[in-house]
Amino acid sequence: MTGILKGKRILIAKPGLDGHDVGAKVIALALRDAGAEVIYTGLRKTPDYIARVAAEENVDAVGLSILSGSHLELVKLTAEALKREHADDVALFVGGTIPRGDWEGLKASGVDCVFDSEMSLEQVVAEVARRLA
Amino acid sequence: MTAGQSVRAPINRRALGRALSRIADATVAEALAVLEGEARARSDGWRCGITGPAGVGKSSLVGRFVNARLAHQRRVGVVAIDPSSPYTQGAILGDRIRIDAHGDDAELFVRSLASRRSRDGLADNIANVLALLEAHDFDDVIVETVGAGQSQYEVRELVDTLVVVLMPGAGDMVQAVKAGILETGDIYVINKADRPGAKEMVAEIASVLRHPAGPEAWMPPVVLVSALSGDGINELDAAAQAHRAWCAQHEDRQSALVQRRRAHVRALVARRLAEVIEASDSTLWDADVASAYHAVVKALVYAGEP
Repeated sequence: MTGILKGKRILIAKPGLDGHDVGAKVIALALRDAGAEVIYTGLRKTPDYIARVAAEENVDAVGLSILSGSHLELVKLTAEALKREHADDVALFVGGTIPRGDWEGLKASGVDCVFDSEMSLEQVVAEVARRLA
Repeated sequence: MTAGQSVRAPINRRALGRALSRIADATVAEALAVLEGEARARSDGWRCGITGPAGVGKSSLVGRFVNARLAHQRRVGVVAIDPSSPYTQGAILGDRIRIDAHGDDAELFVRSLASRRSRDGLADNIANVLALLEAHDFDDVIVETVGAGQSQYEVRELVDTLVVVLMPGAGDMVQAVKAGILETGDIYVINKADRPGAKEMVAEIASVLRHPAGPEAWMPPVVLVSALSGDGINELDAAAQAHRAWCAQHEDRQSALVQRRRAHVRALVARRLAEVIEASDSTLWDADVASAYHAVVKALVYAGEP
């Protein structure tokens, strides 16, 4: 795993009203340990803010962590905000509590990959690296 | 510039974000080529450095200070630097959580940088990064260093005004009077004003600051601030304005630019040295120290001169 994300910049963001960010932080640390520079936004950010940060930081990927159940709406809004910032070419990942039945809907909104709690950290990091290669 | 505020083109965040990556990622040779091509940064801009030990509240202070600067109708660019892992090169860049929590100000741009090869609390190509922001019409450029203990000299040469942030309860006065900390700052902030000993620390620091060389010289003020509540931020802003006005009247702009250029060249040579060492054959290190040293110096001078 070491170094497979070296030189990549990744934004880990939490849109909406969740109160928990342990998962987002665990992912951020795993990406860091694979060599990535990880920008973390903290809790309760708007899609507009996330898109602005993605543009300012010129990240290769945005990873959204959503536990609130509002993933379909929040992802759609974030994808639209990224488009307004001309950053819709940035890879978009989503993780959290996302029912499998919603995966296709998320992908239709522009999500490149959905991660769930069944996947190990190694799998997540490897998949991110594969998508950003 | 304040009068033209309303007709200013909005910040193109996507384009500037990309341009900053190009310059931050540039090799020494690439950085030199960009310098050749780029117009000189504006001479009426103001650069402010914020430095101090880890955990004293630099980012929170920057967040408050930025709001004060924006209230003067100034366009503000912030560069916040966090450390890179020397083992994986990975980094968590978390300063901006505290800097632009709302993130909806049209005149603010924040960029996080990882320190990468830099060992001086700054980041690769930081001089070029700051110049690029100035060239993009920012009135104030604020750079927050890595939590630096006793080695914040490099940033000194890159900025007009250096704010050194300290807090009570982090070492006795022997720490504070060691060479460096109390010689480089133009303004001292004692943050976390609500903590015990904060007021006493203001008096102690003020008493051990070097006395100015003459009546015209700048005497660094010591400002008590709570970045948490915002108390003292207006005083910090006033001190910053006063220092800027003092510089305009007293500072030899030419010699400041010469110092800045010298620091820039030194940083580029240090980068180039890191590049040469990274590219060197591992068998080099089988030799004794003196031979390895001479081989590295030779490679620095002759091989792949950018």
